[in-house]
Amino acid sequence: MTPSFHRREFLRYSAMAGFAIGGAGLITACSTSDSAGSSGGSSSDGSKFGSVAVQLSWIKNIEFAGEFFALEKGYYKEAGFGSVDLVSGGAAGTGVEAGLDTGKIWIGMSAPQLTAPAVLNGLPAKIVGATYQKNPFCIVSSAAKPINVPQDMVGRKIGVQDSNQLVFGALLDANGIDPKSITVVPAQFDPSPLANGEVDGWVSYVTNEPITLASKGFKNHAMLFADFNLPLVAESFTVKQETIDNERDKLKAFLIAEIKGWRDAIANPAESARLAAEVYGKDQHLDVAEQTQEATAQVGLVVSNDTKANGLFTMTKNLVDQNIAALKAAKLDIAAGDLFDLSIIDEIYKEHPDLKV
Amino acid sequence: MNASLRRIGRFLAPLAISMALLFALWYLFLAAFPQVGPRVGKSPTDVWSYLFSGPTSHTARANLLDNLQITLRDAAIGFVAGIGAALIVAALFVLFSTLEQTLLPIAVLLRSVPLVAMTPIIVLVFGRGLGAVAVMAGIVVFFPALVMIMAGLREAPRQAQELVEAYGGNRWTALYMVAIPSSLPSLFAAARISVPGALIGALIGEWLGSGEGLGSSLIKAIPRYQYNELWASVAIVTIVSILLYAVVGVLESLVLARFGPDAGRPS
Repeated sequence: MTPSFHRREFLRYSAMAGFAIGGAGLITACSTSDSAGSSGGSSSDGSKFGSVAVQLSWIKNIEFAGEFFALEKGYYKEAGFGSVDLVSGGAAGTGVEAGLDTGKIWIGMSAPQLTAPAVLNGLPAKIVGATYQKNPFCIVSSAAKPINVPQDMVGRKIGVQDSNQLVFGALLDANGIDPKSITVVPAQFDPSPLANGEVDGWVSYVTNEPITLASKGFKNHAMLFADFNLPLVAESFTVKQETIDNERDKLKAFLIAEIKGWRDAIANPAESARLAAEVYGKDQHLDVAEQTQEATAQVGLVVSNDTKANGLFTMTKNLVDQNIAALKAAKLDIAAGDLFDLSIIDEIYKEHPDLKV
Repeated sequence: MNASLRRIGRFLAPLAISMALLFALWYLFLAAFPQVGPRVGKSPTDVWSYLFSGPTSHTARANLLDNLQITLRDAAIGFVAGIGAALIVAALFVLFSTLEQTLLPIAVLLRSVPLVAMTPIIVLVFGRGLGAVAVMAGIVVFFPALVMIMAGLREAPRQAQELVEAYGGNRWTALYMVAIPSSLPSLFAAARISVPGALIGALIGEWLGSGEGLGSSLIKAIPRYQYNELWASVAIVTIVSILLYAVVGVLESLVLARFGPDAGRPS
């Protein structure tokens, strides 16, 4: 294996290393934002809603194809936004909830298991829609030594990213596995430790590492969290309560642009892949063929029978209840009304029924 | 005894002031950047109540101390290994100057590779256990210590070395009887600055390598939105680092006082 470090990744590491240097180092982690002024939505650029910063949950790959389309085709501009700044994420320091709390971003792609602890700790924020209807997380393992059920992980080494510690813990809780019976190995973006046998399993999106590893000749098996008591949605739109209360029109306009972008992304996985690999995620050195496979697989997570009936990003009461139950199993006891506010997305489809797929 | 007390006082007084300044800076930082907000930015008072007077302070403290123990163990191993290796290599370099001319540039080159970039390789070679963490802490300690100890060994008074030679001693005797005692101030200075270095190395190693100790737990606190734990961890690491620095400084004062009131001070 060649442990390859992308430039972006390296910068992130350096920033975190600076963070580790004593107490004063914390300043570097918290004050790096200069977009605070732009996130409030001033319209100094002449547009109706000004510019906003959007925190992504991962590096810029096809997971954000809808956003790439919305930028490429000008859906955000059409909706009244001057510019939309997509901020890469995935490291512990780029959490959506902290970004919202500190005013660095206006909206973010998060997940219930990340938003819930923040809300429980007093952050007035809610999920207003979910891109992925199905939990995309899986444990990918070598096909020679597959992990088929959660119990297979006992006594083995699993690579878990800092930002995914929570969802992994939730999987263990939901299946009654003692966390001490598993060796958790800190992981970053590159799944080489799985390929070179250093770990037995790797937390990933089913649309991502299983496909990249297979295309590099590493036969693997993916165990979906969704199949083992964890039906959590993902890539959920999280905003502050004050956005819902005071900027409802702006939020609606943004979500409409997102719906249009994601409709295009679903219709055209190949173009999704091209936008990710050649335009917006260019510095990630993504492979178009791989990204096309991932974008195709992703459609199955974004589109369900419910979204066909109700529209993208919507969540049925049943799905909300399943999420709340799964969170409870992970010791995150939160009421549906404190975590989700789906009235905005429902209103959008009432006003624009033509937006339903 | 009086001399050593005076030395200790002269060393500790500014340290106490800087500790107080640190808390002032902490409050100032939070006041200067109000957008950080009360949930992400925790003040010393918040951390105090989290650790000592809050409803969960007992478990919080136990958890933090457990992790601190691991980090201190990792840092201690790195510290001892780094200083020990620096001492041996510095002695060899001073005794055999060709060795220094060949190897020092390579050492400096290696030093300029950021530690985080080397982590995947270190982890692959030494595993994810104590070995890799200690190696990383050791690397942080080794290079600055090497340069400082070498400078100290070189500053040995020429006349004293010539005296040893005149009485038939070889260069090992000169090193042992003259250079090492006269380099004690540099050795201690190297040890002092290596204390925070060893902790940083241990924290990075724990974060990217072993996944235990404070280096790992403080990063994991972020997605859990446990900013109290994060700030408490950072505060504890900082305070422990200052305390250890003070301990080494006091030891230094005690040892150097034996060599006269002005030993180790620029004349």
